[in-house]
Amino acid sequence: MTPSETRGNLARTLLLLGRLALAAIFLFAAYAKLKPQAAMPWSGSSIKTSLSLFAMQVDSYQLLPPQFVSPAAHFLPPFELFLGLWLLSGVLLPYASLITTLLLGAFFAVMVRTYMAGLEINCGCFGPGERLGPLTLLRDGSLLALALAVTIGAFLHGRKTRTESAPVAHVSTPQRAD
Amino acid sequence: MSSRINSRFIRRAVSRAYSIGATLVAFAIFVPVSPAQTATPTSAKTAAPAHKRTAADAAPSAPVKTIGNRNAPITMEVFSDYQCPSCGNFFETTLRDMIKDYVASGKVYLVHHDFPLQMHTYSGQAARWANAAAMIGQFQDVDAALFDNQAKWSADGDVEKYISAAISPANFKRIQGILKGCTAAPPTSKADRSAPQPDPGCPVDPYIVQDIVLGYQVPVQATPTFIIHYKGQSYPASSGMITWPILKQFFDTLLSQ
Repeated sequence: MTPSETRGNLARTLLLLGRLALAAIFLFAAYAKLKPQAAMPWSGSSIKTSLSLFAMQVDSYQLLPPQFVSPAAHFLPPFELFLGLWLLSGVLLPYASLITTLLLGAFFAVMVRTYMAGLEINCGCFGPGERLGPLTLLRDGSLLALALAVTIGAFLHGRKTRTESAPVAHVSTPQRAD
Repeated sequence: MSSRINSRFIRRAVSRAYSIGATLVAFAIFVPVSPAQTATPTSAKTAAPAHKRTAADAAPSAPVKTIGNRNAPITMEVFSDYQCPSCGNFFETTLRDMIKDYVASGKVYLVHHDFPLQMHTYSGQAARWANAAAMIGQFQDVDAALFDNQAKWSADGDVEKYISAAISPANFKRIQGILKGCTAAPPTSKADRSAPQPDPGCPVDPYIVQDIVLGYQVPVQATPTFIIHYKGQSYPASSGMITWPILKQFFDTLLSQ
């Protein structure tokens, strides 16, 4: 195996690991927000309660007016579930990872703003009970960097694959007249 | 030539991007989470709300720092500091509406716990006044007076002025009588989570200390922190400013179960 092939294999493996890590994180984040609280069994009612509890965490960021808090809280966990499954499937990876990066970028910006404003609230990142602090910022910043790396890797890998699969152009060499 | 350089550059860039990515994957997976994420609030572990557990240990003259019907389906415990601006904001914009609406109609039972922070000079003193008022059944008026005038007494520590304006002179004298022996500094929560020392001559200090220790168990990491109990189940503690429409929505979801 040539060094170039080894590097290519390593790159593919790292891209796969990055994609799976992001997928697992998003699936867990969705699960943590949707799972029944207070020893309730899984049901439509328990999910509704969990989403209402998550709405309180969204509200504590003091970013959205009350009429937008509930729609945002009901949209985010299913969207995280969808993104997790999309990343897991690997279909159209550059676009999945790009949307993931944009979402994590928005989360990170809101968290930094809230932390700088001195609000002492729960992060709400992986369900209730986790305080927003330097560690959560460091973790979410790392996740954002990971998503960015996966996005760049996915786009470059896609371009490389397209280049390699493109038909080779045959150029006829002009014959010398002598 | 230039295309060869380009492809070499791209390969190196990809390789570096993946190396960075791998490091970040490892970091994201193994980074330690804050203790609050893994710790379950003590009151959430037990079916009985914290106020019911403390009430059992309390002496007959214990201050009653509650508002509403004890048999209301929802109990909300709030750990608060009278001098903390977020607590004042939470009272004025959320709890006031909740008391008028859901507490008055018997849907919610509100339990106040004192969690005076060390960083606030007069919050311990304000907690003493609130507890003394609670001993003679005047908690609700004094609680509201303290939050309504928070900005004023926070500047000079003149808590008495606003309490005397909120209750009758006779009741004010009774409260003054209760606090007569309170000469040492009032108890406040400590950064190292150690139990503060009550003033032996101050009859309300043990109740403030009791609330602070209960707050450590939750754990209260910021004020206001509140815990909601419904049908014997406790929901995870929330902290920060929550608006009344969103809190009401959560109560309605619980009541519709």
